Amino acid sequence: MSATSEGAKTLAAPASRPAATAAAHPLADALRRRYLAGTLSVVGGLLLWELISRVLVANALFLAAPSQIAVAIYDLAMTGELWHHVGVSAAEFAVGYVIASVLGIALGLAMASSVTAKQALQPWVSGLYATPTIALAPLFILWFGIGIWSKVIVVISLVLFPVAINTEAGLRTTSERLIEMLRSFGASQRQIFFKVSLPSAVPFILAGLKLGIGRGLIAVVVAELFGSRAGLGRLISQSADAFNMPELFAGVVVLAVAGIVLTAGFGWLEKRLVPWTRD
Amino acid sequence: MAPKLEVSRLSKSFGDLEALRGINLGIERGEFIAVVGPSGCGKTTFLRIVAGLEPASAGDVKLDGRVVRAPGTDRGFVFQNDSLLPWRTVFANALIGREVAGAIGPADRKRTMELLKLVGLEGFEAYYPRQLSGGMRQRVNLARALAIDPEILLMDEPFAALDAQTREIMQTELLRIWERGGKTVLFVTHQIDEAVFLSDRVLVFARRPGRLQAEIRIPLPRPRELAIKRTGEFVALVDRIWRMIEDDVRAAALYENA
Repeated sequence: MSATSEGAKTLAAPASRPAATAAAHPLADALRRRYLAGTLSVVGGLLLWELISRVLVANALFLAAPSQIAVAIYDLAMTGELWHHVGVSAAEFAVGYVIASVLGIALGLAMASSVTAKQALQPWVSGLYATPTIALAPLFILWFGIGIWSKVIVVISLVLFPVAINTEAGLRTTSERLIEMLRSFGASQRQIFFKVSLPSAVPFILAGLKLGIGRGLIAVVVAELFGSRAGLGRLISQSADAFNMPELFAGVVVLAVAGIVLTAGFGWLEKRLVPWTRD
Repeated sequence: MAPKLEVSRLSKSFGDLEALRGINLGIERGEFIAVVGPSGCGKTTFLRIVAGLEPASAGDVKLDGRVVRAPGTDRGFVFQNDSLLPWRTVFANALIGREVAGAIGPADRKRTMELLKLVGLEGFEAYYPRQLSGGMRQRVNLARALAIDPEILLMDEPFAALDAQTREIMQTELLRIWERGGKTVLFVTHQIDEAVFLSDRVLVFARRPGRLQAEIRIPLPRPRELAIKRTGEFVALVDRIWRMIEDDVRAAALYENA
C-alpha cells in the first residue's frame, strides 16, 4: 500500500538526518542536492560564452557577451522600449492562444462526438498540423495588415491543431470499462460525457495546450519578423538590421524566459487540475 | 410469495453463437446465489442481461415483477475489474451511483461514509484509487454498488484478480456485510470453492450452448468461517460440482488453446 509507506517516509525523513549541522539547514541542503548540477552547468556555460565573445571573437558585430546582453536588457527596460515590445507580443500571443484553445477544444469535441464530423475534419486537421503554416505568415500579413491581427491568425494556425488532435484523442481513448460502469447505474449519454469522457480527456487536452505554448511563441516572433511595427520579433529584426548584437540577444533572452515561465506555470497548473496523475 | 428475481426462458445469441439457451430461474429475497461454469458458458453474459447492460434475444428477467429492459439503480453491479474513476477520491467514487440517480443530499453522504466504514475503508475516504491495493479497490467497488441501496447485488468475479489470501479475506468480509444487510446477491465466479463457501445455492452452467445444468443447495450452517473449507462436507460439495463441469472445463481449455 503506497499510501502508508509515503506517510512513513515523510515521518522518518527528519529522524534519518545524521548530523545536527545538516539539520540546521535542511532547505539549503535540499536545494543544493536538487539544483547544484544545473546551476553549475548554466554558470559555467555563461562564463565560457563571456570568455569566447570577449577574447576569441572580440567583435560585437558577431557575438554579444552575456554581460553586454544583461546591460542591453537593463537599458531597454529603463527606456520602456522593452515593455512596449513585450506588451505587443504578449497581447498577440494571449489573444491567439485563447482563441485557438477554445476553437481547438471545440473542434476536438466535434470530431470525437460524430463519426461524420471526424471523417470530414480529420484530413484538414492532420494535414494542417503537419504543414509548417508559419510559412504562410507573409500571406496573412498581406491579408490582415501589419498590426496585431495578422500575428493572432498565425498563432491560431499553429496552436489550434495540436489542441484539437489531443482533445479528440483524449475523448476517444476513454476507457470502455469506465463508461460501462457508469452505464450500469443507468447514466445518460450526457452524464457519461461529463462524468467520464471529459475528465479522462483533461490530461490529454492539457498536454495539447502545453505543446501550443512553444508553437505560439514561435508563431508570434516569426510573424513579427515578416512585418510588424512592434513586438519582440520586431526588436530582434531591427537590431539585426543595425548589427546591434546585444539588443538582438536581449530579445531572444526575453523570449526564452517567457517560454520557460509559461511552461513552468502551466506545469504548476497541471498539477492542480489533474492531481490524480501525479506520482 | 413471488421470487425477487425471476428468469423465464432466457436466451441470448451473438450472431451464430448461442451464448445462453432457455434459462429458467427464481431467486428469493435475501438469497445468496452463486453461478459457476467453465469459460464460455455464458455466466457473465447472464449477469449482464440481468444488469440490463445486454439485451436478451428471447425470454425475460423480472425483478420484483417488473421486466428488466435497461440498467437501473435497483441493481448494483460489482465489476471484476474495479472500474474506479482515477480522478475521484474513494469517497467520490463510492458516491457516483447516487450522483447519477440525482442530486446528492447530506443523507447520501452520511450513508456512503457508513458504507465505507462497513467495507473497512474508514480513514481512506480522501485517497485516490492509485494509492490503494487491489483488495481495497474492490472494497470501494462493493461500497459503490451498495451505496445506491439496490434490490439485488450483481457480482461479476469480483475477487478473481486478487491474490489467494486477499481473496479469502474478501470472501469472509462479503459474508459479514451480506449477513448484516440481507441483500439478494447473484455472484458469478469460476472458483467452485468460492461459490460453495459463499452461497445458499450454486447454479452450475454448461457450455455450447450456455445453459443451466444443475442447482445445488448448500446446506452448510451460517455464519461460516474459513475453517469450514476444510470440512468433509464442504470438500464433498466442491468435488460434486467439479465432476459436473470437469469435462466441459477440459473442452473449454482445449478450445481456447487451439
